[in-house]
Amino acid sequence: MLNSSRLRIIGRRLLQAIPVVVLSTFIVFGLLKLVPGDVAVTLAGDNASDQRIAEIRELYGLNQPFFLQYGSWLWKAAHGDLSSSLISNEAVLTSIQRCLPHTLLIVALALFTAMLIGIPLGIAAATKPGSWIDGFVMAIASLGVAVPNFWLGMLLVAFFSLQLNWLPATGAVSLMKDPWASLSHAILPAVALASGGIAEVARQLRSSLVEILSSQQVRTLHAKGLPPSAILWRHGLKNVSVNLLTVVSLLANRMLAATVVVEAVFAIPGMGGLIVNGAMNRDFPVVQGVVFTMVLIVVTLNLLTDILYSVLDPRISS
Amino acid sequence: MTKIDTTEIEMGKRTLHRRDILALMGGVAATGALGLPAWAQEGKKGGVLKVAAPANPSSLDPATGGAGSDHSILWTMYDTLVEWDYETLKPKPGMAKWAFPDPKTMVLDITTGIKFHDGTPMDAEAVKFNLERNRSDQRSNVKPDLSSVEAVEVTGPLQVTLKLKNPDTALPAILSDRAGMMVSPTNIKALGNETDRKPVGAGPWKFVRWNDNEIIVVTRHDQYWRQGRPYLDGIEFNIIPENATALRSVVAGQNDMAFQLPARLKPVIERAKSLELVSSPTLYCIQLYMNYARAPLDNIKVRQAINFALDRDAFVKAALNGLGEPARMTLPSSHWAFNKDVAGMYPTNVEKAKALLAEAGFKDGLELTIGGYMDQDSVRRGEVIQDQLGKAGIRLKFSRGTIAEISAQFFATEKKFDLLVSAWTGRPDPSMTYALGFDKGAYYNAGRTADPELSKLIQESRVSEDLSKRAEVFAKIQKFTVENALSAPLAFQFELDALSAKVKGFKPNLLGKPKFENISLG
Repeated sequence: MLNSSRLRIIGRRLLQAIPVVVLSTFIVFGLLKLVPGDVAVTLAGDNASDQRIAEIRELYGLNQPFFLQYGSWLWKAAHGDLSSSLISNEAVLTSIQRCLPHTLLIVALALFTAMLIGIPLGIAAATKPGSWIDGFVMAIASLGVAVPNFWLGMLLVAFFSLQLNWLPATGAVSLMKDPWASLSHAILPAVALASGGIAEVARQLRSSLVEILSSQQVRTLHAKGLPPSAILWRHGLKNVSVNLLTVVSLLANRMLAATVVVEAVFAIPGMGGLIVNGAMNRDFPVVQGVVFTMVLIVVTLNLLTDILYSVLDPRISS
Repeated sequence: MTKIDTTEIEMGKRTLHRRDILALMGGVAATGALGLPAWAQEGKKGGVLKVAAPANPSSLDPATGGAGSDHSILWTMYDTLVEWDYETLKPKPGMAKWAFPDPKTMVLDITTGIKFHDGTPMDAEAVKFNLERNRSDQRSNVKPDLSSVEAVEVTGPLQVTLKLKNPDTALPAILSDRAGMMVSPTNIKALGNETDRKPVGAGPWKFVRWNDNEIIVVTRHDQYWRQGRPYLDGIEFNIIPENATALRSVVAGQNDMAFQLPARLKPVIERAKSLELVSSPTLYCIQLYMNYARAPLDNIKVRQAINFALDRDAFVKAALNGLGEPARMTLPSSHWAFNKDVAGMYPTNVEKAKALLAEAGFKDGLELTIGGYMDQDSVRRGEVIQDQLGKAGIRLKFSRGTIAEISAQFFATEKKFDLLVSAWTGRPDPSMTYALGFDKGAYYNAGRTADPELSKLIQESRVSEDLSKRAEVFAKIQKFTVENALSAPLAFQFELDALSAKVKGFKPNLLGKPKFENISLG
């Protein structure tokens, strides 16, 4: 699987990731400094005074020039030190190590749910276009896109947690500590997050599958006397797999962003809460650390997608 | 936020009867009538209380932190030299008794046998170490609180004497706040800055663990100096900033208690049969801050017009679901320093407001810029105020953003906006409130200017130790700030907490920051 051309892709992509990380953290840093509000005021607390705020700026190096502040952050980050939260003093790396697994678990579970439900729905709709099944699936798909995930989350909690008492309403448990409790905490947020994904997977799969199934090539296969199931599984799905991969990888990136809201609804101490709290207080080491990690994850996901492309379709090599 | 919330608000309007409001106005006394447990009874020992806490602390070191939301968590680990009465906030002895042998000397006599969690004795040396650190360490945020202290002397194994630059009878109350939370000197000397996350105090519980934005765990301090206390073996603070989510966690039984909930969630608590609702008055004053150092609010008539145009009773009903007390000054009616003579100074009178505006040269009304926050409750408050002032011809131009952003634009160097709709969270001593909010150069006085008469009165409020004499000075201060309309107080927001049925003995306080010392699990 890892031939020389693929290794070259990986190498090139990793090199490309460096300017992406630098640029994105630089932009975020700039935005944090540009918008009004000052972490020194937060640090000075409820009894703030002009003098105390000035003292704190001096103490934390917040009065240094913009480029110097960014540069010293970048220098430390390049050496594996993501600094500490200016407010709570917790090492940013510690926060991320604790929060990231919660977020990744929900996203992975949501992605899995989206495919588990979305793919059969898409196939069902595509094999009988125009039928009532098709109409039903597309109606569900439209609804899935239209329903905001935080609202769905609240409905799910109201029903499954508060009424039936089946699943916990809030919080998260580490997968390492207690796998079962961890999954039971993650199910509802993952379903809430997956609703849009199910719809998207089903719709995209349907449209590309319909196109393939009505192509001349498939007509020939029918004429050769191949059973419809063989045509669907061996020829139809194989041809739409590249499209499906694109949809899923875009979906994964979007879900990583959408967890911010879902985490708030379910009180999950994940990356979303970390960055929101950091941004609200202008705690830039925290924000920078989260952005840095997220960029790395997205770059890795995209790289993985590209490699899978060339596996699924050998014509895509460079 | 969602459809659900609108229906909640509508239901709130329908279900909130006059009787409820009256009962709630009665505050602490009325909570008994609402079927709450008698807190005075001895509690059962044992059990871990799970609490949904609204914010991640800024620090677990009282000297270096700064957020008002920290206190409820800090008090579990740190006892204070001075404490206060729950209903009135009158200072009373904590780990120490105090006396003023003369106006410029304060003597603290420390209770015998108190030990920090690490075994270090809580004696005169420890108190001196703490007070010196609080007033001189570069990371200390409480330096201004102790600015009247000239020297701290150990005058006995358990006695500390404070020499003061000027008389300061606000000190007992100040020592019930951050400045009076004693930390273990051994721990500070050993850890330095790391004490922010590894606190050692002398409170009823000791620190176990803190994960940012997730959880704080404390466990019983077996050598606690108060016999038979605490009742709880431990407390687990689950940090949930989203209020509705915090309440859901209590409804679902994952937490035992959620505190400082917004009024809009009252109907939700009432609907959950298994929960008890606690509501009581606090010092948390929702108000319009004014930058009166520049036009047009440098004109007293414009400021008074704003005060006349506001309908505070309607504000409490519309913006707080009735869970509040209309504010006539910066202190609520239950406070020991409340001045009832100025309470009736600004009855709602739109005509009078218009007339004052005309006298000030704004016959056709005027436009004012105002800053506000963007959370759901703040937006709702802003809309009510906009409507009320609009009737008198005062058109508000709103800018919204996060608390950090908007408050910095108003109070710090930028000086944006004429008005800010925000809140004053209250302080143990009223002189702190006036010194921080109205005195010359004070940060929360956006214009930084103050009439010398007011500054003089604020200093005078710290001279006498006699509360009735101090109350007389505060009456003058209140008269001054209200007559000159230096702010427009709107309402004191009631504390709203949801408790599961097994939580016994919880007693709210006037500061609105829960203490857990009386709680037991039945």
